[in-house]
Amino acid sequence: MIPRVRLICGLLLCAGFASAQTLQEAETLWRNHQDKDAGHIFEQLLKADPKNATYRVRYADLLYQDFNVSDAQKLYEEALMLDPKNAHALLGEAHILADNYNPKAEELANKALEYDPKLYEAHELMARAALEDDDSKKAESEADAALAIQSDAVEAIAVKASIDLLADKQSPWVAKIGNRGKGYQTIAHFFMINRRYEDSIAYLRKAIAATPDLWSAHSELGMNLMRLGREGEARQELQLAYNQPFRDAITANALTLMDSYSKFTTFETPTTALRLNKKEADVLRPYFQDVLNNAIATYQKKYKYTLKTPVQVEVYPDHTDFEVRTQGLPGLGALGVTFDNYIAMDSPSGRTPGEFHWASTLWHEMSHVYVIAMTNDRVPRWFTEGLAVHEETATYPDWGDRLSPEIIAAIRDKKLLPIADIDRGFVHPTYQAQVIVSYFQAGKICDYIVQRWGDQKILDMIHEFAKDRPTVDVIKEQLGIDPAQFDKDFLAMIDKLYGKTVAGFADWTKGVKEINQLMKDGKTDDVIAKGREIEGLYPDYVEAGNVYNAVAEACLKKGDKPCAIEELGRYSKIGGRDPDTMKKYAKLLAESGKPKEAAAALERMNYIFPVDAGLHEQLGGLLLETGDAKGAVREYQALIAMHPIDSAGAHYDLAKAFKAAGQKDQAREEAVTALEAAPNYKPAQKLLLEVSE
Amino acid sequence: MKCAGFLLLSFCAVTPAFSATYILTVAGLGGEPDYDQRFTMLANDTDKAFRAGGQTDRNVETLKGADATKAKMEASLNRIASQAKAQDAFVLMMIGHGTFDGQEYKFNLPGPDISATELAALLNKIQAGRQLIVDMTSCSGGAAGSLKKDNRIIVTATKSGTEKNATVFARYWVEALRDSAADTDKNETISALEAFQYAERKTAGFYSEQKRLATEHPQIDDQQRAASFALLRFGSAAAAINDPAKKELISKRDEIESKIDALKYNKSLMAPDDYRKQLTQLMLELSKTQAEIDK
Repeated sequence: MIPRVRLICGLLLCAGFASAQTLQEAETLWRNHQDKDAGHIFEQLLKADPKNATYRVRYADLLYQDFNVSDAQKLYEEALMLDPKNAHALLGEAHILADNYNPKAEELANKALEYDPKLYEAHELMARAALEDDDSKKAESEADAALAIQSDAVEAIAVKASIDLLADKQSPWVAKIGNRGKGYQTIAHFFMINRRYEDSIAYLRKAIAATPDLWSAHSELGMNLMRLGREGEARQELQLAYNQPFRDAITANALTLMDSYSKFTTFETPTTALRLNKKEADVLRPYFQDVLNNAIATYQKKYKYTLKTPVQVEVYPDHTDFEVRTQGLPGLGALGVTFDNYIAMDSPSGRTPGEFHWASTLWHEMSHVYVIAMTNDRVPRWFTEGLAVHEETATYPDWGDRLSPEIIAAIRDKKLLPIADIDRGFVHPTYQAQVIVSYFQAGKICDYIVQRWGDQKILDMIHEFAKDRPTVDVIKEQLGIDPAQFDKDFLAMIDKLYGKTVAGFADWTKGVKEINQLMKDGKTDDVIAKGREIEGLYPDYVEAGNVYNAVAEACLKKGDKPCAIEELGRYSKIGGRDPDTMKKYAKLLAESGKPKEAAAALERMNYIFPVDAGLHEQLGGLLLETGDAKGAVREYQALIAMHPIDSAGAHYDLAKAFKAAGQKDQAREEAVTALEAAPNYKPAQKLLLEVSE
Repeated sequence: MKCAGFLLLSFCAVTPAFSATYILTVAGLGGEPDYDQRFTMLANDTDKAFRAGGQTDRNVETLKGADATKAKMEASLNRIASQAKAQDAFVLMMIGHGTFDGQEYKFNLPGPDISATELAALLNKIQAGRQLIVDMTSCSGGAAGSLKKDNRIIVTATKSGTEKNATVFARYWVEALRDSAADTDKNETISALEAFQYAERKTAGFYSEQKRLATEHPQIDDQQRAASFALLRFGSAAAAINDPAKKELISKRDEIESKIDALKYNKSLMAPDDYRKQLTQLMLELSKTQAEIDK
């Protein structure tokens, strides 16, 4: 987000005397935060002089500052129709594009400079965009250009200060900001986008100390405090901004979200705090707590590091709340986000069953918590994301994401980036799927490093990155290999792993179409034969319309259960996640006298979609049958937490599980609860008598 | 079927001896093969569920496919009207599509459709003292007003005539007839209310899981009557009642059940521990008595 108020005093000179007085009035009202009144005057000015591009630009600037971006953009465009060389209108449009990290912003800023070479704000905009793109050289050069025109240009000074501070150097430029809060706010922005939230908070406090009525800084401070779980102060800052009124969507959304926190409950242990929505807390808690504890135990040993503060995990059943929690606005594609030792993530109930592996996401985010703590956040994006992706499957191979068609296309089209540039794939993607492809590539790079150099090398790299060393140097020194050679060797591994899939993708696609037709024609034998022929071409594909399901269906149509079990076993092993398919697989296994395997298949689903009463009921029964009474207790408790239709039956099942676990008192209590709902429920009566003897 | 406390006792065990139940299921026009197949399958499953167990007090009839015409539906209803007596029960289940033009609901059938007004006229001729109409079509909420009558429970898949999308309620209503989980009070009888609540929850769950906006909101107009309307019985609940040797035990059991009902009624006025202690004691007594009856 860029500072919204830009006073362009030179504009005043452009207008005639009569209207200048009125324009001046509008500007004065604006400066005094009487935006509405200023807006009315701009409307009058435009009515009186509709051909005046300057009025339109200044009015657009006001609207832009007040978050009415669409009307502002329209006015800038209208101004450019009246005066195609209006540098300020071009700059205004550039700011709107820059807010969305749109590379076209630079093009417009350069054009603005063509028409007004003294427009130092255009250089400032490009300096900021360059630093957001991690191009400090260009950022410095643009900041210098702005300062050559305007020696006290605060945005340029702040960019230069940020370059030093991000590199952990003292900066003489900080002092030059003086009492201009916006300068500190810009530094805070760069700390924030580099995930250094504590530093960002410190500079926002400086911004507010220098300019107490810089409401945007209050709002940003509130957001950063919220990210780090300091909700009391966050609310104060956000409310303060909102009341001024600084009512952008982020501030309003964050306050609404904080109001909804009363619907959540937090479970604390010495090392964790788990915040869950009350409506699903009883169902999710055992599973989330278990994965959380397991992740801490695993990473502590693996990374040889003990977290100094408890990690807090917040789970949002409403994806919009999660988005607001993380960035203030809806539209975030992520499933989980880590802010230092705070994790916010989607709940499985917020996603379509089967599309989201929550345990894998939590495992991923927990890796970030450790890496961030171990490096004090001095770690390139590709490495922390790559390591987290690597970890998803390092302990449990069926977790993590599978190879998707867009990744296959990227490999085929040779779009994987050299390791020296891979961060750009995350920060400034140049094609739609590049972020996903970059996650995949970074994960595979970490897989490759572990495979070739071992886990210790990953740990060594973490420690090197903690010294703020660049990727290229770390690769050279730690792996003893030139980055170019690393890329060559890595791509050879990718080819070995996925060459067959990439080469056979077109045949696989054609084969899937053929299978669909064969299914329609009822040619089950042909479906099985074709499916078996092509599934090896792209074994990772387990989404809708996958070959495994088609073959299993064909097997069942023939009445060949072992064939279906074999096929669904492949689907499960490779990471298939569809709850209905997995329940069908478990049922087939149970019917074939394999209750342990059936239970194992269903236990996988607890990590994917545990908000499924049928799953817990089926799994509870299987666990009880196979002698895992403790597991059965857990499953039936989850079932009861979901308020099943058959409440009496669920309590009776739990009573049976308690009895099997040797917990007679609990068994009696559950039997009584079952009978409270259904007094004539004979099996529960019998059990009550048995456990009361 | 269960009694929720003293207030509902009057609705319990109202099924008179020697009464018959007339059950008519009609699967209407699908309009496309997929729906035709689905509606027929649901009608078959319903038919099977009601015919299971060989209970002779049921008259089960199912119209589906090409047979589900307006004329045949009228004929079936007229025949039931000529046979059913005041002590009997009558159930009509309608599966398929419906339409509503703002004034009138119509059940889509091969050939001419039947309107709610026409249907009401036919139903009003039936003397059965207890009636249950389950209209599971789209727009079915639009029929409720026309079909309403004092002795008649109306279940619709949609809240109003304006919920026009194809419904899933029928799938779960039929499932309730086969799933013992629907018998929430474990008395081996699925009441109309239990079937409705089962199907309603499953319908809501379907839309929630699919992350789709719910386009149907099932309704029932008389929950108290529905709680005592025995839709389907299974098991051996009735067998012991006819054994004179166990009369005393059954009286004792009834007495304990009354005490349990009284205790549950006063639950909110009692200390939780005291309530739990008394409940456990009564449940133990009930369980022992039932064990004696079952010997």
